[in-house]
Amino acid sequence: RYVRQLQRLQLLFSPTAADSRGARQFVEEAAVDFARQHPDVVLYVSPRAGSAPLLLAEYLNGTVREELIASKTSEEIKQLATKLAGQSGLDIIRIRKPFHTDNPSVQGQWHPLTNKPSALTVQGPRLQLQ
Amino acid sequence: MVLLSAQRWIRSRLTDRFWRVQEVLKYARHFRGRKNRCYKLAVRSVRRAFVKSTKARREKKRILRALWITRIEAASLEHGLKYPAFISNLLKSQVELNRKVIADLAIYEPKTFKSLAALAQRRRQEGFLAALGDGKEPEGIFSRIVHHY
Repeated sequence: RYVRQLQRLQLLFSPTAADSRGARQFVEEAAVDFARQHPDVVLYVSPRAGSAPLLLAEYLNGTVREELIASKTSEEIKQLATKLAGQSGLDIIRIRKPFHTDNPSVQGQWHPLTNKPSALTVQGPRLQLQ
Repeated sequence: MVLLSAQRWIRSRLTDRFWRVQEVLKYARHFRGRKNRCYKLAVRSVRRAFVKSTKARREKKRILRALWITRIEAASLEHGLKYPAFISNLLKSQVELNRKVIADLAIYEPKTFKSLAALAQRRRQEGFLAALGDGKEPEGIFSRIVHHY
């Protein structure tokens, strides 16, 4: 079953500033539809004065991602929100290898004495007699 | 640092220019010398670093393949086979493993690699018999080709 990794989305905007216009339109028109379409994401809408409009996304593994939505249209904010809802909280950096194992070796990793005759490693009373 | 008075706040303003400069300097932090601190030197170094990393993506494929070949050669010499003999006989026995996988097997599964080397050696002997024995002996077992179509 699919578990959405996005826990909550906080929409912080100012009720009067000009760059929060898109955010206000989003709240009026598309926020309720977005909340209905993504029932497992909690959407918090908190108007606050003075700072730039932000979209805070918190994920199940604890990462918090902030996206500036200043001077963005309501459509763009909706697309951003759906993109964040589809992501997981892992860091967005270059993956060095697309594979990973905890047990890389089944037969025992090679060391310089793997293919040598065991007379070099084994010390026993019989060898000394011969 | 906590700046308590308004005058101190204004004196240490973070302008847009600061952020534009930091965007470049963040890629130069691990360089040596003044290039990791001074913007003018860092711009040139960062640009060269990016160009080199773009061009090196083509070289990386060649370098890694050469590394795998070196490792396979070392491992097969431990079992008494040279690299060209090993690879050619493995291909003739229809074992289509690429060099990356064979190198990983040589490191992490030495017994599997030993059996691959033994297979290549057996196929080599059968090839010699077929070429020098002139048709009187039966055909080799490992020289049989399986058609999958």
